[in-house]
Amino acid sequence: MSTLPSELLAVWRRKGTVWPRYATLSAENLEVANSLVEVYKRHVGEKKRVVKELVDGFEDEGYDYRFVRGLSLLLDRRSRFRCDDRISPVDLRRRIFRAAGRLGLPTTQERRARIVEAVASDVKVDAAMVEQFFQADLDTELTLEEFEPLSPQELLQEYNLSLTQTLLFDSTEVRFTSSGNWQQIFRSIKWLGLIYEAYQAERVWVKVDGPASLFKLTRRYGTATAKLVPVIIASPEWTVEAKILWKYTNEICNFKIESWKHRALMRKTEPAQLSFDSTVEEDFATRFQALMSGWILRREPEPVLAGRQVLIPDFSLEKDGTKVYMEIVGFWTVEYLLRKIEKLKKIEVDMLVAVNEKLACEKLSNLGKQGRLNVMYYRDKIPLSPVLRYLEHAFREVKANQTNLVRELPIVFTEPIVNFEELATRIGVSSEAVKTALTEKPPQDYVIMSDKMVRKDRLEQIGRTIAERIRQKGRISLSEAAETIETEGVEDATGVLEALGYKINWRGISTENAEVVKP
Amino acid sequence: MIDLWFDRGTLLLRGDVGTPYGKWDPRVGCYRVKASHYREVLSYLRESMLQFRDSVPNLPPVETLGGGVELRPYQSEALVRWRRAGKRGILVLPTAAGKTFIALKAMSLLKTQTLVVVPTLDLIDQWKRRVQECFGVEAGTVGGGESTVRMLTVSTYDSAYLQADVLGNRFMFMVFDEVHHLASPGYMQIAEMYIAPYRMGLTATYERSDQRHSLLPALVGDLVYTVGVEELAGEHLSPYTYEKVYVELTPEEQRVYDGEMRVFNGYLREKGIVLRSAEDFQRFIMSTGRDKRAREALLARNRAVRVALNSEAKLDLLAKQFEAHGCERTLIFTLHNDLVYRISRRFLIPAVTYQTPKQERREILENFRNGSYRVIVTSQVLDEGVDVPEASLGFILSGTGSTREYVQRLGRLLRKVEGKQAKLVEIVSKETVEARMSRKRHQNLDGEA
Repeated sequence: MSTLPSELLAVWRRKGTVWPRYATLSAENLEVANSLVEVYKRHVGEKKRVVKELVDGFEDEGYDYRFVRGLSLLLDRRSRFRCDDRISPVDLRRRIFRAAGRLGLPTTQERRARIVEAVASDVKVDAAMVEQFFQADLDTELTLEEFEPLSPQELLQEYNLSLTQTLLFDSTEVRFTSSGNWQQIFRSIKWLGLIYEAYQAERVWVKVDGPASLFKLTRRYGTATAKLVPVIIASPEWTVEAKILWKYTNEICNFKIESWKHRALMRKTEPAQLSFDSTVEEDFATRFQALMSGWILRREPEPVLAGRQVLIPDFSLEKDGTKVYMEIVGFWTVEYLLRKIEKLKKIEVDMLVAVNEKLACEKLSNLGKQGRLNVMYYRDKIPLSPVLRYLEHAFREVKANQTNLVRELPIVFTEPIVNFEELATRIGVSSEAVKTALTEKPPQDYVIMSDKMVRKDRLEQIGRTIAERIRQKGRISLSEAAETIETEGVEDATGVLEALGYKINWRGISTENAEVVKP
Repeated sequence: MIDLWFDRGTLLLRGDVGTPYGKWDPRVGCYRVKASHYREVLSYLRESMLQFRDSVPNLPPVETLGGGVELRPYQSEALVRWRRAGKRGILVLPTAAGKTFIALKAMSLLKTQTLVVVPTLDLIDQWKRRVQECFGVEAGTVGGGESTVRMLTVSTYDSAYLQADVLGNRFMFMVFDEVHHLASPGYMQIAEMYIAPYRMGLTATYERSDQRHSLLPALVGDLVYTVGVEELAGEHLSPYTYEKVYVELTPEEQRVYDGEMRVFNGYLREKGIVLRSAEDFQRFIMSTGRDKRAREALLARNRAVRVALNSEAKLDLLAKQFEAHGCERTLIFTLHNDLVYRISRRFLIPAVTYQTPKQERREILENFRNGSYRVIVTSQVLDEGVDVPEASLGFILSGTGSTREYVQRLGRLLRKVEGKQAKLVEIVSKETVEARMSRKRHQNLDGEA
């Protein structure tokens, strides 16, 4: 983790909000970053003291010392400093101190020179070498031996990430949401010894702190949560919020970064390559996708809430608004499987659990269906047909349930045109279900079309317009009629005309030649 | 069945039952209690005649402690008071008064798993040596990259804090050496995240300038015993004399000093800033983060202070003092590492700073102890704790305004050796801000040194 000492953390603080003074990727900042990288690059082989003196020069030029030193510290970490050890300074000092102990403390230049000479002849070098190596292992005396350069932009991004992590050291809790990378995120949470709570607020949000956070605000878990940040921001979309206990004033401040605003500022580490936990999973995914069943298979889907905890199923399978999850269980014991099923039963989603029969430690009678949970067995690989059967069954069931839901919804329609797709999204069902339910029993004053319904008065108004057109011109082509209808906000011209009792006389395939007539 | 177990510095209680001090944790669906309430939770469950399984302690095996400890009368008195207070409490004794032995005696009486928490790695070594000498057993170490837990274990505050998650249920007795450290906001949690019901705090300097020492009784137990330097000087501690010597800056230093202070004072006058208290100064330092000119003023002052603290004149005086005192066992204290290395280079004497490699540091201290080295120069690392029994002469070349630092440095010279007359010399640059810093460190001394 790349963090900075707290005295180098530059922040803005206003009205209970705190945010680091991120280095924007401006020409000026890039210029400073570039110059510093050059300082390190050009001084390989020189003493650290020399490098640091040049770095100090940037402060004198008026740049924020925290910015300059922060960048320099990050560059130190990409450097290898080495002690010139042709003569071991530790060994040399031991000889000198012993000699001084023997010959008495040198209070004059002459006596000091005698001791140095004695040691020099002892080690068989000259006195100047003794002076040179006496403190050669001090930090500032080390030699810059190797430097691994990076681009100015990367340096600024690394710096910004460091600022974020350094600020989070003082956090008492962190909340975040992410568009992916969940498996790795939750693995990290566990590994870092943190506790999380998940909740749904449009997307799945996760609040992270630690065991002792229950008793009082504590920064204790700040270091661990800071380590979580690179894992979270490795996914494309994210928001991270935190409460910071500002140590100088003992105030709680809010902190927030969002991908759309801060993504470009931060160094992004590549998310760990998704690898399948088992070949069974991989094999199933490959064969299922080859099937082109219309079901979209997704690995590591958004987590499913189980109370305040989450579960990341192995797969989600989605088709036209129907979503089911799938878990694959390899090794198991009866207790483990029963516990797992108990846990899964609490989840309000449709779930298929494929259990390896061959690797079973004990025999278990067929579990079958348990509420919204379905258990199937497999031997070497997961057979596709029972999976598809389950999916189609679930699809029909979900459809039926949704149709029922729409039927029972106490909606009063007022808009002139109701689009099924939009309505379906609003109530969270498939458009199929909306259409089925509404066609079955159309609301009063509405006429059902293929993908929408239109209020009767609006339809009549369109009818009057078309009738007027026909009266004026004697006849009207389909393309003209369609234009009229589209200006009223309905795209499905033929549907409207049909509902109004018009017929279309086609002459060829051109809509301009097709005539709209009243039979 | 109720289950009580240790979860990373806290206790969890599974089963439909609450407990005093417990708090419902919705994240896990259990009652959670601070680990430090372990004893109370146990007695509550027992008194309520509830069936429960206690999986909390994970104690290292008990070892037989050989040997023993003989206490001086005042040490025995301190131990008796501590035991009467329920084997909890804080003992305040001057440096070199043998605090360690009281704790060792307590260990030999309790014969239970014990964690000694100390501020520095040097103190770990020292405690381990003492445990070995006293009981003939090896103590475990947590800190400095090591982590071995034994019946008697010594840890730094840092490691005890960072590893509370896994160490909190491994000891029944905790000794906090230099217990004033425990009151800092982070370290406080050590006291809360360990189950140990028996606790002892030791220090020579109980009071903190931020008043946070008032939090310590709740964490370790009440202040049960206090004895000052005067009461012990002569009989149990070496008698000592103190002398302050002023030096004049060299003409060049004086010129730089005056120039820099003009910049600083000019800025303060211009802005109408008056710096009376530590808080005023703190606020001024905060403002330098926002205001470039304020920062320039601060930097000018810092440069001036460095000139005063690190004056060449002090080194010349030191040379004269060396000639006068011959080869007495001597410690030289400074504030900055630069000065340590300048002195080390000029007089060819060993330096101990935080940069000194661990092995070399051990070797230097060992050589000082056995008399091969007569003088050591150090910045702040030896201020606290480490025994340097033979030193009889001390020079303070520079320091902060802290009374604690002064008392600790003095303490380095006071360990009782028959016939020893300790002497502490403070060298201060005349008519500089350093004179004020020096006065400040003596201001709060009354009774303490």
